Amino acid sequence: MRAPNEIDFWRGFALVTIFVNHIPGIYFERFTYRNVSLSDSAELFVFLAGCSMRILVDGAARALPAQWLVFRLEARAFNVYVAQMVVTEMAIALLAATAFFLDAPYLLDWHNASAVFNDPVRAHIGLVLLTHQLGYFNILPLYVVLLFIAPIVALLHRHAKALLPFVSFIIYAFALIFGVNLPTWPVEGTWFLNPLTWQFIYVLGFLLAGTDGIGGFARRHRSVLSRLAIPVVLLGAIIAFSDFSPDPVDVPEPKLLFTFDKTFLSPARLIHSLALTAIFARTYKIIAAWIPRPSEFLCLLGRNSLIVFCALSLLSLMGQILRFIFGGHVALDALIVILGILLLGFIAWTAEWRDRLRAKLASKPLSPPHSAAF
Amino acid sequence: MIAAPRAEDASAPPAAPPMSPPCDVPATDIAAPATLPNVTQALQKGEKVRILAIGSSSTLGSGASSKSRSYPSQLESILEHALKGVEVVILNRGVAGEVAETTAERIKSEVALRKPDLVLWQLGTNDALARIPPQDFERTVRSTLRWLKENQIDVVLVGVQYTSRLSRDPNYIAIRDSLQKIAAEENILYVRRYDAMRFIAQTRANLQLMAGDNFHLNDLGYQCMAEHVAHALIVSLFVKRMRPIHN
Repeated sequence: MRAPNEIDFWRGFALVTIFVNHIPGIYFERFTYRNVSLSDSAELFVFLAGCSMRILVDGAARALPAQWLVFRLEARAFNVYVAQMVVTEMAIALLAATAFFLDAPYLLDWHNASAVFNDPVRAHIGLVLLTHQLGYFNILPLYVVLLFIAPIVALLHRHAKALLPFVSFIIYAFALIFGVNLPTWPVEGTWFLNPLTWQFIYVLGFLLAGTDGIGGFARRHRSVLSRLAIPVVLLGAIIAFSDFSPDPVDVPEPKLLFTFDKTFLSPARLIHSLALTAIFARTYKIIAAWIPRPSEFLCLLGRNSLIVFCALSLLSLMGQILRFIFGGHVALDALIVILGILLLGFIAWTAEWRDRLRAKLASKPLSPPHSAAF
Repeated sequence: MIAAPRAEDASAPPAAPPMSPPCDVPATDIAAPATLPNVTQALQKGEKVRILAIGSSSTLGSGASSKSRSYPSQLESILEHALKGVEVVILNRGVAGEVAETTAERIKSEVALRKPDLVLWQLGTNDALARIPPQDFERTVRSTLRWLKENQIDVVLVGVQYTSRLSRDPNYIAIRDSLQKIAAEENILYVRRYDAMRFIAQTRANLQLMAGDNFHLNDLGYQCMAEHVAHALIVSLFVKRMRPIHN
C-alpha cells in the first residue's frame, strides 16, 4: 500500500467529483468545481493518469527492457479494457433489470444503451471495439486508448525525449484544426472525449510529473507559474459563472481553437486545467495537515482508482435510477452522495484488505493441506 | 396559399406539405409559427439547406424498422419534395437516453464543425425521467438557445412525445410546460409533439404510433413526427416571407 501522496489525493478528489457530476440533476452537483471552472474533473483525471504513468516509468519500470515495459503497459491497458467491458455490461444489465422490474422500457434508452437492445448484433461488436459507448461511461474508453498508446509515450520518452511533446502537440493541433475525431458505430457520431486531443493532456501530465524537461522547468519556476495561473483561473471562474461561450461565427478558423469545447479539449479548457494544476500543486500537504482524515480517505480512493472508477460508474447509474423512482429530492440526493462515497471507500478498503491478506499469507509458511481435495 | 421561399421562384410557391390521413392534426396543435431567418436566407440564395437534427432516441430512430425510417431521414425527403429544387441535407446526431445538458455540449461541437443553417433539437423526455429540476433544464436550454441565436443559427425545439404511461407524471408535464414557456419567451419555433400525438391518440384510437414498449415511436409515429416538423417549418418560412420587409 502506498503512503498517502499528492497524486492519489487529487485522483480521489477527481473520482468523488466525477461520481457527483455523473448523476444529472443531483442537488450537490452545484457544489462541484465545474460550476466555477472552464475545465472539470475529466481533465484532472486524465492529467493525473499521465502523472502516474511517469512515476511508474521512472520508478518501478525504469530498469525494464523495452519489450517488458511494452508488455507491462499493454497488460495494464488490457486490464482497464476488461474493466470497461465488465462495467458496461453490468450497467446494461442494471438498466435492463430496472426496466423489466419497474415495467419502464424507456430506461433501456438511457445513456445510449438502446442500440444494445434494438440492434444487438452490431452494438455488441461496437461495445467490444469501443465504438459504442454508454453516456457517462466514456472516460474509461478514452483511458483504455491512452493506456494502449502508453508504450509509445514511454519509449519516445526513453529514446527521443524531445520528440514526445512535439509529436503529441502535432496530433493535438492537427485534430483541432481539422476537426478530426474517432467515429462511433453503430450509432452514427463521434467519441464524446476525443482521444486524439485528450492524449495531449495525458502526455502533459506525464511530462510535468518528471523532474527534467518541461517538468523541471515547471518546478524551477513554480512560484511564477502559480502567480500567472491566478488570473487564468479567476477569468475561467467568471466565464463559467456568467455562462459565456465564444461564438463560432465570430471566431476565426479553425474555430475549435477558440471555442470551449470539451470533446476536442479546446485550448481554453486545457490552459485552464493546467492553471488549476499550477495553483493547487503542492497544496496537498497543507490540506492533509488541515483535514487529515478526509485527505487519507481521498488517497485511499485514489490508490484504488480503477476499481473505484468502475464502482462509481455503477453507483452513479444506481443514483440516477433511485432519483427516477423516488423523484429528485435534496434528502434523497444527500443519501445517494453520502452512501455512494462511503461505499466507494469500502470498496477501496476491501481491495487493500485483500492485498494485505495476500501479503500476510505469503509471508507465513502455509501448513500442509490436510486434504488433497482442498 | 404559401409564399415561395426562393425569391426567383416567387410565382411558384411551395405549399405546406399535406399531412397523410393518419398524421393529420390541426395546425394549432403542431406549432405557433416563428421566424427562421437563416434558412430563409439560404433558400433565397438557392443554397443547400444544412440541418443538424440532434437529440435523443426520437432523433436516432429507436423503434423504427430501419435508419431510413427515422424522422430526420423522412423529413429530408418531405422538405426536398416541398421545396422543389432545393437540396436539403440533414445530419442525424441522435444519442438515445441523453439529457439536454449533454446534448448542449454536443451542439456546440457540431455547430462549430458543421455550421448548419438550422438545428432541430428534440429534447425533454430524458430530463423528465432523470428528474432534472425544471429550472435547471430551463437554464441549460435557454443558455444554448441564446448561444445559437448569437451564432445566427436557426433553431427548432421538438418537444416530448405523448404516451399514456407518462401523461400523469408530474415531472414529465413540468418539462413539457417548461419547453412551451421557453419557446414562447425566446420566440423559438416549438413543435408540440405531445399535443399533436395526443390529438391522434384521442381521435384515432386504433391507430398505433408507438412501438411495442408504448414509449418509442414506430415507423408510422416517425412519419407523423417528420410530417409535423415539416409542416411547422414550411408554415414558419411562409410567415417570414409574408412579413413586410423593413429597411
